[in-house]
Amino acid sequence: MRIKLTSIMVDDQEKGLRFYTEVLGFRKKHDIPVGEYRWITVTSPEGPGDVELALEPNANPAGKAFQEAMFAQGIPIAAFEVGDIAGEFARLSAQSVVFTRPPAPAGPVTLAIFADTCGNLIQLYQRT
Amino acid sequence: MLLKPEGLRRLCLARDLLREPREASPTIADLAREVQMSPFHFIRRFEALFGVTPHQYRIQARLDIARQLLAAGRHSVTDVCMEVGFSSLGSFSTLFTRRVGEAPSVYRRRVRTMVQVPGTVPAALIPGCLSLMGRLPSSAFADPGRSFREA
Repeated sequence: MRIKLTSIMVDDQEKGLRFYTEVLGFRKKHDIPVGEYRWITVTSPEGPGDVELALEPNANPAGKAFQEAMFAQGIPIAAFEVGDIAGEFARLSAQSVVFTRPPAPAGPVTLAIFADTCGNLIQLYQRT
Repeated sequence: MLLKPEGLRRLCLARDLLREPREASPTIADLAREVQMSPFHFIRRFEALFGVTPHQYRIQARLDIARQLLAAGRHSVTDVCMEVGFSSLGSFSTLFTRRVGEAPSVYRRRVRTMVQVPGTVPAALIPGCLSLMGRLPSSAFADPGRSFREA
């Protein structure tokens, strides 16, 4: 048993794919039409190469309610590890990404939180 | 852009207000006043946070509700159009068709024919990760390097 795939709900898959590739810098791995929706996954160029993040449509009203409540409470739904959190903060801020928490130390890590424009807050962390 | 908790709370409130289908929908200027920002800053911050302008968000929210009502199958297309706050059936149908890919009446007929268990959401509204995977061709699960045709 191993963890190979995880997913994140996005309110618009096309917008999500643009943000996760063009802004965050992930690479599209799969993009397959499935009915009205698409099976989209991205991977990180920094690895691990076989771990995929699926950009799931949040059309289920229950998923939407969960996503909106977490967002309104300021709670990130996923966390990505970075090597240079100050550099990422500057790079993403320059692309109009909204941060709800600038990089700040929290015990063994430095944390920052930004909005992914698809209804989620995402945490970045750097081990210190 | 750095958004303080109070700013996040206000913009989430604006998002909730934009989603409510109401007879007299608040204008963007009304909402900006409600969240204590100038219309310019409100639109700019909303778009940076949610990826769409307040106006686009409202249209999308209305279409989402329309889909749910049509899938439930208890309302006519005209009822749904009025319910979600469109005043013209023509503009509702045109917009729905452009965004969803089929006319509201066609969508209603298609999703209604699915078997529905009382108390559950129609299958058409559950594009969950697992159900998507369930409908993928079996080749999708083979060695991705060799047999998966990348889109």
